[in-house]
Amino acid sequence: MLDIRDLTTTYGPVTAVDGVSFTAPQGKITAVLGANGAGKTSLLRTISGLIRPASGTTYLGELDLGSVAAEKMSSLGLSHVPEGRGVITELTVEENLRLGALGRADKSRPADLDRIYSLFPVLRERRHATAHVLSGGERQMLVIGRALMATPTVLLLDEPSLGLAPRIVAQIFDLLKTLVESDGLTIVLVEQNARSALSIADYGVVLNLGKLVVHEEAAVLAADEKLRHAYLGF
Amino acid sequence: MQQFVTTALSGLTQGMIFAAFALALVLIWRSTRIVNFAQAPMAMITVYIALVIIDAGYSYWIGFAAALISGLLLGAVVERVAIRPVENKPHVNAVILTLGLFIVIHALAAVIFGSRYRSFPAPFGLSGFQVGDFTIALTGFGIFSILAVVVVMLLLVLLFRFTNVGLMMRASAFNQEVARLLGVRVSRMLTQGWALAALVGSLSGLLIAGGNLVHPSFMDSVVVFGFVAAVLGGLDSPIGAVVGGLILGISLSFVSGYIGSELVALAALLILMVVLLLRPGGLFSHTAERRV
Repeated sequence: MLDIRDLTTTYGPVTAVDGVSFTAPQGKITAVLGANGAGKTSLLRTISGLIRPASGTTYLGELDLGSVAAEKMSSLGLSHVPEGRGVITELTVEENLRLGALGRADKSRPADLDRIYSLFPVLRERRHATAHVLSGGERQMLVIGRALMATPTVLLLDEPSLGLAPRIVAQIFDLLKTLVESDGLTIVLVEQNARSALSIADYGVVLNLGKLVVHEEAAVLAADEKLRHAYLGF
Repeated sequence: MQQFVTTALSGLTQGMIFAAFALALVLIWRSTRIVNFAQAPMAMITVYIALVIIDAGYSYWIGFAAALISGLLLGAVVERVAIRPVENKPHVNAVILTLGLFIVIHALAAVIFGSRYRSFPAPFGLSGFQVGDFTIALTGFGIFSILAVVVVMLLLVLLFRFTNVGLMMRASAFNQEVARLLGVRVSRMLTQGWALAALVGSLSGLLIAGGNLVHPSFMDSVVVFGFVAAVLGGLDSPIGAVVGGLILGISLSFVSGYIGSELVALAALLILMVVLLLRPGGLFSHTAERRV
């Protein structure tokens, strides 16, 4: 469970995230939606410690993440897959995956390459290739696989559908749903693609100019025509 | 024929030393985007440390090891003390800082060790081997130089390819933010990178010094050639640095042997220009992929 409490993030005079509070319940997908510049990415970057909040904090279960450095998060069970994929293209597919396991939370579990390869068979085929030969969809699979190597309990995903064909997006979202059901993973999914995100999410949060304006069950949000028109553009 | 072989062999030895120096520059550039102008005087200091130990009556090898270890420490200290405070500032700040270090370390060396020429011993023979009636340009110390650089490079390859620390160092070099999110302590990796680079720089200093005279500026001329070698290889690529060093060493040796030694610096510039015109990123660059 991830509990975000009154989080505010500023860049100089600009307030990117403005007093946002919500809870992402255990074993559920919470979609964070909103237009460009609504503060979605800043919110994730603040949660994972890449930016220090101006005020407020985040709790991972009982643990206050307020003063935890970004490089400690993965060992506490919080993995952040950043926007723009974050594949290290100079490394091979397998090196990217191994890297994910170095800071893993559950050290008792062996780093489980085979599991990732069975989730994404295409990565096994290309395990020794440099990651820059991968397609966009394969790169997205690689960064999700790499995050899973860290045995997270909470996964933050920033725009995983960006630039991908609808068929690939559906495939990746199906997989996320499966992971939540099989592993009890908690996912916070930042998306521009609101329609697809709400189709797999349990809850939806809408940000507008840094403020939380809606926090609803995903089905309710998707059914509310007024909200959809006002904030989600479909 | 004899001249050809002689020229090629002395170029090979020279090229290996350029390669080591270029490698020191590349190791720092690719993890921090800083050209470390202080590399030469840092190496020079460690050579003086070796010299003091050897002059005190200890064996060459103790001095050799002490120089490498002090290189390692000096690299780490320079990163922690001087570079760390400007790491998140524009890169030009750090580059100017390394220029400042260049001057400061020079001055310190002159104060501590004196600025007169002192001879530095070599552990192996400095005269060429006899092959039939000829004396070829390959000396015992030359072979040692080549082997030492090859061994260090192989060790670096093993470190980077096959160990977790190496993997974390490469990840930090290519994408600091992603590395942090995966739990890599990037600042520690940067310190280790500087330490390794200074060790390799120190090795190049020891190889240049062997059988020669040292004084506080004895490394300065190699800066230009080492930098050209690194740029030839693409600045980002350790293998490129080695290939660049060898290409430069061998071509300059031929220019010096067949055309005239006064043209060496000009030839280095010409080679650099031609390579940059044909492949602006250098021979082994990843620049195109990096922007994807």
